[in-house]
Amino acid sequence: MTTDTELNPEDFVETARAVTTACAEAAGLPERMDLLAEAGLTGILAPEAVGGMDLPLGFAVPVLRAAGGGFLAAPLLECMLLARAFAGVDDALASAIVSGEMPVTVAWSGMLGGTSGVVGRAPLAEACARVLVLGADEGGVLVTPGEGAMVETESTLDLERPEARVRVTAASGPELSADAVARLRADALVLRAALILGAAEDCLSRAADYAQERVQFGRPLSANQSIQHHLARDCLAVETIRNNIHRSLSPECAVPAAAARATFVGAATLGARVAESAIQVHGGMGFTWEVPLHRHLRMIKALAAQGGAADLIEAVAADLLANAA
Amino acid sequence: MTQTALAETRTAEQGMAAHARAWLDANLPDALREDRPSTRRNTVAELCDWEAKLHRAGLVGATWPKEYGGGGLGLRAHLDISREIGRTPMPESVNSIGKELAGPIIMAVGRPEQKAEYLPAILEMRDIWCQGFSEPNAGSDLAGLRTRAVQTADGWVVNGQKIWTSGASKSRRCLLLARTGPVEDRHRGLVLFALRTDTPGVDIREIQSIDGERSFCEVFLNNVVIPEEDMLGSPDEGWAAATRVLSIERATNRMHRAWRFENQLNHLVSACLSDPATRHLAESTYRRALAEVSVNIELLKGHVETLVGSLIDGQEIGPRGSLPKLFWSEAHQGFARLALEIVSQFPVEASDTLRVARKRMEDIYLKSRAETIYAGTTEIQLDIISKRILQLKRKA
Repeated sequence: MTTDTELNPEDFVETARAVTTACAEAAGLPERMDLLAEAGLTGILAPEAVGGMDLPLGFAVPVLRAAGGGFLAAPLLECMLLARAFAGVDDALASAIVSGEMPVTVAWSGMLGGTSGVVGRAPLAEACARVLVLGADEGGVLVTPGEGAMVETESTLDLERPEARVRVTAASGPELSADAVARLRADALVLRAALILGAAEDCLSRAADYAQERVQFGRPLSANQSIQHHLARDCLAVETIRNNIHRSLSPECAVPAAAARATFVGAATLGARVAESAIQVHGGMGFTWEVPLHRHLRMIKALAAQGGAADLIEAVAADLLANAA
Repeated sequence: MTQTALAETRTAEQGMAAHARAWLDANLPDALREDRPSTRRNTVAELCDWEAKLHRAGLVGATWPKEYGGGGLGLRAHLDISREIGRTPMPESVNSIGKELAGPIIMAVGRPEQKAEYLPAILEMRDIWCQGFSEPNAGSDLAGLRTRAVQTADGWVVNGQKIWTSGASKSRRCLLLARTGPVEDRHRGLVLFALRTDTPGVDIREIQSIDGERSFCEVFLNNVVIPEEDMLGSPDEGWAAATRVLSIERATNRMHRAWRFENQLNHLVSACLSDPATRHLAESTYRRALAEVSVNIELLKGHVETLVGSLIDGQEIGPRGSLPKLFWSEAHQGFARLALEIVSQFPVEASDTLRVARKRMEDIYLKSRAETIYAGTTEIQLDIISKRILQLKRKA
């Protein structure tokens, strides 16, 4: 792993914001993937041998925070993790992911029974070249739509990264071990929290701006203590997510797995609350399609489901009971 | 500090967690354990004795300079020790004002002779301190305080009244805040004293709180003469330094809270699991609610550990100290409410294990009502966040 101490995760903030803004203007997913790859963002975690930057997970956080805040319509989280996971397994494939030629995604929900089955919650699967599907052995297979697997449209909340279902009749393709899948899923928890953080920060910033611009009864909404306190609680929620991402990645953290799980579960709950609150502060405007707060809310809810927030709370309960017994 | 000294300090810090855990396991008397049955209340003398032992074991004052009886270690060591103290179901300090408020303020503004006199006495539990800031008309709004200090040839003559002074009746010193000018001066002319509570003219009356305890007091000050040498810093200077200390203290005081909170949750769950008649409360009825408390505890640790990291990196904490206070107080009240609901369903003929847990949770519930009031109410914290972090516009 790179030990270049000159680089700092925050160095990627400006690049990630600029690329996210450029992606909003791009015609489609291939163009967006080109922009992300050109800036080195798809390969931020992948080894240098496949064209990546070989940086620790913390470097992906500011990038995904910018993506979450800027409505990035690309499977960047999945590409970052899969490029790293397939390096050493299939270098040509990993290189193609890093270069942006091959957009890939993950069906985060469900697993195959043997080599067939239906799995779901695969963001942007309809536009991706390959989809990682998970097997009952806890490993994964990167299937190609049209070759023993079919991508089917699904009702989905997320507008930026619409989810699809994958019907697999004969799974074949490059494989990941159970360990590699476990690492990918664990790292995805913190990265999802980073996407949610970006979205929540944007919701809070929009709500604070609106509350100070909108004048009613001769004064801005922000002159009302009820609105001030509403926004202060949202600020606490945002800082809670931020501090916990930091904790999960800190070398000083004694329990990184428990910290990452709580960070994601907390982000899913608190992030959604910030988005809902921003809609409330915007009044009727908040309920319109035009004000993009609903897009953040939709993404946060989709991410909560992709990460299995409800199952993770059950896992916390099981651990709590086991430790207390 | 030289490189060698720095390395020695770091080695000492790294060993603190293991040392703290082993020492606490071996030395905490059963009578002080909050998860064991007790027949009587611990006396102040017993608690002081215990805390003095903690100090001798290096578990109190870890970050204070060695010359004042401290450990000369960094905040990371304090965090490591705090985790272990939190995990151990022992009583809260009877001198947390001395250790976490008066001590750091004295270190910031005290004269060398004041530091030498006051600081070791705090750690050795010879002097318990209380905090004389709040007044009947100056609670959250401290700038409205009225207690007057007039300089005379014999020293400062102080008149006024303090309230909500926790532990005043068992304290030897009071960190007293008074003003030298008129009330209209607001934040100007405030002066800090290390008042001896046995000074003539100091009248302390206990107030009974909703948990039945008499932990806080009213303090009446009638022509109390405070010698010049007991003033902390000059007028204005003392208070300015105190507010700087307070902003850090708000973020770091009782750093063990998250881990004590976890100990309380584990105690509640293990009590439920100890009896076939109550197992379902943890296993099914309140399973998800308890898991959510557990998630909140981890999130609280995230606040504490990240803020400690920021302080170690030399960053200013400022209003960010309000964030963990607000998060902790509300999360803990939520837990206390849930815990009371659960223990209320324990059978009438309960085992000792269930009875001890019920008593502890009832106590936590009542005490927790103060948590969103003291050290700046929830509403004050929300004001601080909206005004100083979000900097929201308040006027047209």
